[in-house]
Amino acid sequence: MISLNYRDSRPIYEQIRDELRKLIVTGAIGKDEKLPSVRSLATELAINPNTIQRAYNELEAEGYICSVPGKGSFASGDTGADDARRKELMNKVRELLRELRYLGVTEAELLGLIKGGAER
Amino acid sequence: MIEVNKLVKRFDGFAALDGAALTVPDGSVYGLVGPNGAGKSTLIRHLTGIYRQDEGAILVGGEPVWENPALKARIGSIPDDWYYFLQASIRDMMRFYRSFYPRFSMERYEKLKEVFAIDERRTIRRLSKGMQKQAAFWLTMCCLPDYLILDEPVDGLDPVMRRQVWSLVMSDVAERGTTVLVSSHNLRELEDVCDHVGIMDHGKVLLERSLEQLQDNMVKLQVVFPDGMTEVPPELPVLHASKIGRIHTLIMRMSAEEATERLAQYAPLLVDAVPLTLEEIFIYELGGVNYAVKDIVL
Repeated sequence: MISLNYRDSRPIYEQIRDELRKLIVTGAIGKDEKLPSVRSLATELAINPNTIQRAYNELEAEGYICSVPGKGSFASGDTGADDARRKELMNKVRELLRELRYLGVTEAELLGLIKGGAER
Repeated sequence: MIEVNKLVKRFDGFAALDGAALTVPDGSVYGLVGPNGAGKSTLIRHLTGIYRQDEGAILVGGEPVWENPALKARIGSIPDDWYYFLQASIRDMMRFYRSFYPRFSMERYEKLKEVFAIDERRTIRRLSKGMQKQAAFWLTMCCLPDYLILDEPVDGLDPVMRRQVWSLVMSDVAERGTTVLVSSHNLRELEDVCDHVGIMDHGKVLLERSLEQLQDNMVKLQVVFPDGMTEVPPELPVLHASKIGRIHTLIMRMSAEEATERLAQYAPLLVDAVPLTLEEIFIYELGGVNYAVKDIVL
């Protein structure tokens, strides 16, 4: 369910964190659904369990998952609290907009994209 | 916990270990790297009670290893030159291991038979190098060790088998809290499996850090400064700077957030934080120690 790219320069824990976040955001891991255990991911990916624990801790701090002692980690389904991520993504969009403007994409086209994207 | 303190070992006056010190916390996976002849294998032979030190102390779980059979029964080890009896089959060696390791698990032995898929009746001597390594892993993992000492463990294994054995080791770390010390030349691979890294040269441990410390304390930034600013501001604590066209690449010893914040006052056109690989981190970490880093990072 998670694939690591060994040519990626991001550290492993960041890759795991980002992949899990993607699964949660897209709904592949639904609200209140249990995430794979640290142990099973460590075995499956042949990665140090502490590295995986670190990814889980960060996701918990960001509010994407909550862990219940003795039961495991669950997708929290409520990510309103994550301001840092929101800021990061807005910056990314700003960067993209700058490039799109350079390429001559009009405002109307972008607005259409936002509306279309929201419907989906 | 494995603690090595001021370890000295001389062979005919040559100090193979010259005050080496390291600490492996419980339940962690410690990667030991260094060039050939740095003293990695010598250190490892002290940890498994094969060599006796001239000076210094080695404590595994608070006890000295030398001539301590009760402790050694809890230490699993795969040395670089794994020993087996000349005519022994894997099954014969299993009996030998079973007689030394009280926790030897036959249940696991049977399970791993399917993983390794080598006929247990085959003579080990007639197996290929990689298959011998597999046999060593097979038997060592059956001993249910609390401490696992591995010297170049995946040397000679094919990529699928490498993954397989790491997955076995990692599942033991997760389930049983096994403490692992592994020597290797492959930094890329260590980045996946280790949470602590120590780097050795000339019989000393030069640097020892947790992976988290390493990754969070150094950042590579690509920066384009506004027009008219061609030089990196001298007040920035830059470890290393290079420039291609207008793009400056800066290495700084701080977190990515802090670095971005500090650069913001110069109103740069572009700031992009790029993660560093373990290899790069070592080069810059050791650059200050004035060592011939290229020889160390392999």
